[in-house]
Amino acid sequence: MSSERKGKGRQKIQMKKMSNESNLQVTFSKRRSGLFKKASELCTLCGVDVALVVFSPSEKVFSFGHPNIDTVIDRYLSQVPLQTTATMQFVEAHRNANLCELNAQLTEINNKLDDEKKRNDELSLLRKAIEDQFWWACPIDGMNRAELEFLKKALEELKKLVAQHVNGLTIQGAPTQAFPFFVGNASSSNIPLYHQALPPQVSQNPMLEPHLFGFNNM
Amino acid sequence: MTRKKVKLAFIINDSARKATFKKRKKGLMKKVSELSTLCGIDACAIIYSPYDPQPEVWPSPLGVQRVLSKFRRMPELEQSKKMVNQESFLRQRIQKAKDQLTKQRKDNREKEMTQLMFQYLSADKIMPNISMVDLNDMAWLIDQYLKDINRRVESLTKNGQGQPQMVAPTMVTNGVAKIEDNGQGSNGHGNNVLDMNMDVMQKQHWFMNLMNHGGGGEEAAPLGDANHQNGFWQNQFFH
Repeated sequence: MSSERKGKGRQKIQMKKMSNESNLQVTFSKRRSGLFKKASELCTLCGVDVALVVFSPSEKVFSFGHPNIDTVIDRYLSQVPLQTTATMQFVEAHRNANLCELNAQLTEINNKLDDEKKRNDELSLLRKAIEDQFWWACPIDGMNRAELEFLKKALEELKKLVAQHVNGLTIQGAPTQAFPFFVGNASSSNIPLYHQALPPQVSQNPMLEPHLFGFNNM
Repeated sequence: MTRKKVKLAFIINDSARKATFKKRKKGLMKKVSELSTLCGIDACAIIYSPYDPQPEVWPSPLGVQRVLSKFRRMPELEQSKKMVNQESFLRQRIQKAKDQLTKQRKDNREKEMTQLMFQYLSADKIMPNISMVDLNDMAWLIDQYLKDINRRVESLTKNGQGQPQMVAPTMVTNGVAKIEDNGQGSNGHGNNVLDMNMDVMQKQHWFMNLMNHGGGGEEAAPLGDANHQNGFWQNQFFH
């Protein structure tokens, strides 16, 4: 776990065509994405019509338009001033209501995402703290043979203990437990760790669905 | 530059909206220009507003015409492949955010369970109120950890790092070096080492309890006889 920074952070770049081919491709990808996001925000915040056409280094074309690119382009090329009939206004109002709903959804999910990221930071701090406390919480790559064997035995014993508990609960007719599940609240840090929120999509028997964890490495 | 979080909704206040429009329009044009320059690509932007019948464009009316012609010349299919409007764009962003959220939750869950696992290793028992779901996840996590340990042991063996030392002095000494961190390393001699071993064993009596099958009751095996450390450890590990 290095504390040195990799990469140089934000650098001021020269405003001319990039020389490194792969950097150019990455830059295009990121900046195009950011550009569309900005255009989308402009439309939402100010309610204006916009058209963006962008060609990629490999001559693929990306376009963004509000209400849609074809009407904006046609309006521009024909130079005919915009007429708004009652029907058009009705359609626009309907469309805007729909977009409003989508924006609200997006905001909600982004807020949840921010909460989970904060939670992730908290958990990283907790991990750091426990590594200072117990040697077995440190990365196994740093352990010697003896420590590994020791930890292995301890884990195998813990595994047996867990299995015992599982059997105990099964006999009792679990899964309904005594305590309530708290749903979705990632900032409930005063609730003991093992009572905290479970993601709604975790089923009753995750053992059968290890893909939910998606551990690639520890 | 303001760093307040902006609510993603139509700005009701007219003057605020007009000010925002001016700023963001300028910013958008700048970004298009930068993208075009840095990546050496063709692009154009057209922005209409309620404040002016004529739209603002980039790079220039002529430039816009050129790019639009290039666009329209392309086959219909190619034009529409990466074509989005507000609705489709927002749906894409929502999906992306949902995927990120799922991933982050998984990661957090893993971190939480790992934390819990380490705590259980240091305590005497598993908290009685743990749920079935948590138990199952815990079992899975322990298996993963064991897999990683085995992998690591294998690679150490391959690199000829010697046999597993179940002989206490080596192991405990190493453990001492880790836990006590008093710089004495693994060549502390004679009584010193044994004394430190005592300390370590006393601190780690919980491990003994754990290995006596989670009992809270049974006392740790007598720590008295340092000379029989082999047997001591073996007794604990192999019932």
